[in-house]
Amino acid sequence: MKNRLKIERAILNLTQEELANKIGVSRQTISSIEKNRYVPSTVLSLRLSNLFKKPVNDFFELDENEKANA
Amino acid sequence: MNVKSIMECERKNIDKLKKYQLSNQFKKVGWIIFGIAFVALFLTTKDTNLKLIAKYSILIGLLIVSISKEKIEDELVKNLRMHSFTFAFIFAVFIAITNPLFSFLTNFVFTEKQEPFSGIGDWMILWLLLSIQVFYFEYLKKMHK
Repeated sequence: MKNRLKIERAILNLTQEELANKIGVSRQTISSIEKNRYVPSTVLSLRLSNLFKKPVNDFFELDENEKANA
Repeated sequence: MNVKSIMECERKNIDKLKKYQLSNQFKKVGWIIFGIAFVALFLTTKDTNLKLIAKYSILIGLLIVSISKEKIEDELVKNLRMHSFTFAFIFAVFIAITNPLFSFLTNFVFTEKQEPFSGIGDWMILWLLLSIQVFYFEYLKKMHK
């Protein structure tokens, strides 16, 4: 899954630590999501959506393989 | 009591079981018990009772470390913990199954004695389960830094 978390974070001018504190996770979780090592849960995605004031699809996108298997 | 209320009661009991974890402070306590017991195990040579206590204290220490929460217990940590439990379970079962066969074959090849199959032992299985879970979990956390 591709994501634009780093860009959205930069728009709000937040560090990984600050974003992590705002949505109640650790900095490692934000770092892992940005590096595509971890796919967040629906709850966490919706928390990010609330914070960015954007739908989840705007910053998370299925890659080609995942689209093909759907 | 209808079926719905029985199911609700069961669900509450399962939810209680899910809260099995200790707070983060217990992690240090677990490591201290593990450290002391580990040193004691190597220092005791004759006293079998003391050795037995040390061996089981190692397991108690590791169990406390294993069920203690992290400073920030978020969904990534829960996910990594689940992976480490799965890996430890599969690895320990694999070793428990293959070890008697491996010992039998090595005995047969090198000493040509046909000794009967012997199990791996309860302490060794628990040690494998707990040590693999704890150390693999620490390894996974480092990988996600």
